Order: sequence, then C-alpha cells, then structure tokens
Amino acid sequence: MEHDPAVIAGVSLAIETVIAKAVELSPGTQSRLKQLHPLAIEIHCTQPALKIFVSVEEDGGIQIASYRETKATVSIEGTWLDFSRVATASDPAAALINGDVKISGDTAPLMQLQTIVGELDIDWEAPIVNAIGPVLGHQLAQVIRAITAASGTTHRRMKRQLSEFILEEARLSPPKPELDSFFTAVDDLVLRTDRIESRLKRIKKRAASLTGAIE
Amino acid sequence: MSSQDNLTDDSTDFGYERVKTAEKAGRVREVFDSVAAQYDLMNDLMSGGLHRLWKRFTIELSAVRSGQTVLDIAGGTGDLAAKFSKLVGADGKVILADINAAMLSVGRDRLIDKGALSNIDVVQADAQFLPFEDNSIDCITIAFGLRNVTDKAKALRSMHRVLKPGGRLLVLEFSKPTSPLLSKVYDAYSFSALPAMGKLITDDADSYRYLAESIRKHPDQESLLEMVEDAGFVDCRYHNMTGGIVAVHRGIKG
Ligand SMILES: C[S@@+](CC[C@H](N)C(=O)[O-])C[C@H]1O[C@@H](n2cnc3c(N)ncnc32)[C@H](O)[C@@H]1O
Repeated sequence: MEHDPAVIAGVSLAIETVIAKAVELSPGTQSRLKQLHPLAIEIHCTQPALKIFVSVEEDGGIQIASYRETKATVSIEGTWLDFSRVATASDPAAALINGDVKISGDTAPLMQLQTIVGELDIDWEAPIVNAIGPVLGHQLAQVIRAITAASGTTHRRMKRQLSEFILEEARLSPPKPELDSFFTAVDDLVLRTDRIESRLKRIKKRAASLTGAIE
Repeated sequence: MSSQDNLTDDSTDFGYERVKTAEKAGRVREVFDSVAAQYDLMNDLMSGGLHRLWKRFTIELSAVRSGQTVLDIAGGTGDLAAKFSKLVGADGKVILADINAAMLSVGRDRLIDKGALSNIDVVQADAQFLPFEDNSIDCITIAFGLRNVTDKAKALRSMHRVLKPGGRLLVLEFSKPTSPLLSKVYDAYSFSALPAMGKLITDDADSYRYLAESIRKHPDQESLLEMVEDAGFVDCRYHNMTGGIVAVHRGIKG
C-alpha cells in the first residue's frame, strides 16, 4: 500500500515538535545541534518502502521530511523488520552495528546526533501514538527510542563496539578529545538507560497484545 | 464535470449554481470577504488541522532553497508564505498574492505578528493575469485556490509564463476520494456538518455551502493533471493525500 504523505507529515510534525520542546528545555543543546548542520540523514525503509529524511538546519532545528532533493550526508537502509530487530534487541547499539541495517556516508555526526537526542528526556510514545494510533505508534516509538537511547548494554561493551565501529566500519578516526567527550556522554547514557530499560519492559508487556495482533 | 468551465455560453459554475462568467469573480470575492476574519480558525476546525499537514507536504515537494523567488498565488492569509519566507532567507523573496484585499489584509497582519514580512511582498493580483515578468519565479504554489478561479486553464498558462525554465508549480486542491466509502462519509460531512459549522462560527452557512459545492465541481486528479500538462508543464504528477480528499499536483516548466 502506498503511504499517505499526510500521515507521514503528521508523525514528522509530532516528532519535530517534541524534539524542539525538549531542546528548548535543555540549555546548550541548541548550540551543540547547530554544529551538526548540514547533517542530513536518509532513512530508507525498503520493506515496506518508505523514505524519511532527518536533517539539522542552520539554526540547530531538527527537521523531518518524507521528500527531499538535496543529497543526504549519511544514509541508513533496511527493512522494517531489520529496524524492529534493532529496537527489540537486548543490545540495540550492537544490533545496529552488526545487524542487517546498512549505514553509509559520514557517520560521525550521526553518532553525535544520536547522543544529543538520546540525552534529551523525550517521551516518544504519547505524541506518536496520538498521530498514528496505538499499534503502529507504539512500534515506531520503540524503534526511535532504541535508536536514540541505545539502551541496555554495559559501558565497556558499548565503548568497544562504538570505537570498533567508528574506526573500522566507518574508517574514521575522530580526534581524541571528541571521542572522550562522546564516551563521557555514553557513560551518562548508560546510567539513564538502565532506568529507561525497566520502563521499556513494562511498556512492552502492556503492548505485547497489541503488537501481536498485527504480526 | 468542471471542464465545462470555459463554455462558450458565457456562463460558469459557482458551486452548483451557474452564473455569468463575468460575475463569478465578484461572487467568489463576496465569499472570501465574508470569511476572511475567521478564515484561519475555520480552516483548522473544518479540516481537523489536516490542512497544516497537507501544506507541510506541499512545502517539502517545493524543494525551495535559500535565495529563490516564490509566488504563493491565492495565498489568502499567508500560511505558505510564512513558511517559504524562512526557506528562501534574506536573499530570497516571497510574493504573497491574492485577488481579495480582505484576505490579504488579514494575511499581512498575521505576517507582521510573526515578524516574517521583511522578505515578503504582498500583492493584490488575479491568478489569470499575473502581473509579473516572464521567467522570473522559481516556484509557484496555489493552495485551495484554483477551484475559485473563473478560467483555470488561463490561470495555469499565466503561471507557466512567469515561471523560470525549470521552475515548478504546485497545485494543492481538494480532489476525489479514492474509496467510495470515504467519498460518502466525506459528502455527508461537507454538505451538512460544514455549512452548519460555518453558520455557528461565522453566521454564514452560504459561504461554506459554496465551498463544499465548489470542491465537488473541481476537476478530479486525472483531469487536473491533464490541464496542467495542457498549460505546457512537463514532468507532471500528483500525490493523493488523506485518501484523495486532497491532491497536490506538480508540474515543471520545461
Ligand atoms: C480557500 S482560500 C485559500 C487560502 C490559502 N491559500 C490557504 O490555503 O489557506 C482561496 C483563496 O483564493 C483566492 N482567489 C479566488 N480567486 C482568485 C483569483 N482569480 N486569483 C487569485 N486569488 C483568488 C481567494 O480570495 C481566497 O483567498
């Protein structure tokens, strides 16, 4: 079935709005985001076919669109199943790196965006469910949560995986200070994700019946 | 259907009525004079906020970049113009044009409130006779406006003329729901709920009845596609939204 651009516009608007609100409440985040411009991510879901573009604008605003003509700086490709596997994996960061999701282009700013958005305390569930209903909405929120929060792994493992990924797969070697501040952020994240994880489990349980219904 | 617009008998549709061609513009003006002040509120209520999403996708399709010149014709209260103003930046220009002074004046006030007026020109103009130079504009949008224009083919040709080669036209307009069931629900909604709502809020059921009727008289997806092609555009295509209740047509000036 073809996707209704209005539905996608609704989801994008909802996500953009919650991010913008969270950024507003988090001092310093706006200027960190600004530095990521002109990051443009193409998320290509091959099955069902759907393309979403996430970009960081000059003013640090995050924009989400389903149509874009300017070339993306990094692209992520996989089936919905691939993305869901990442989301439901016990170790989403590892699943993202080792799984079937393909990442190409300049990944360093992508990782930074992931960190920044991950640090924001965002409730993805409510606005997305509002926009597209509970069944799909919950799944999508789960995927976004997993990708941005990279929950459930030990600090050391994550550190190793990420540095391996950054050095080998992406063939990038960011300067040490940058890497260090990234890992400090990861430190922080791991603490918080433990809490999020238990919350996630509860939500998962509650939604299991719903998700089961469409599988 | 409304390909009957340009009949030689010198009459045209005004909703479900036939009126003299020369009279239609005046009748349309009365409608928008009457709804101007409450237009934005009604837009949100009538579409359940959906018009924002339809416009959002239209703006994505425009792929407008900084420094470009954009014309939003039948731009009314300036929704799209405000968005484009950001996209084209200080080096670009947006022209908000409409045939109706009352709509434009509500629009101008709103743009001033948003602080968005510095790169926007507000121009009173008829889509059929655009007062701009040939090949001068990068992108033209017309949102929920074409169905009110007396001679749609003429308007499309006029837009083609002022666009730069390679420039693009986007027509956002009500269209034909793709499923018969949705079509029925939608009919019931727009012919009873809509005028009732209009009466409640603006004490003007007739204007909203006209809106509902004019939507039905407007060409469906394929007919409009043909009209856009006939006006000289190439690479024409359309995207249905919300089950075909609206569609956005795109054409490029070759
Ligand atoms: C339904 S409103 C749409 C306003 C705005 N584009 C929006 O989407 O909210 C239709 C507009 O078309 C304008 N209009 C009608 N006939 C026109 C014409 N021949 N040339 C230019 N504008 C026209 C009306 O004045 C009115 O403002």
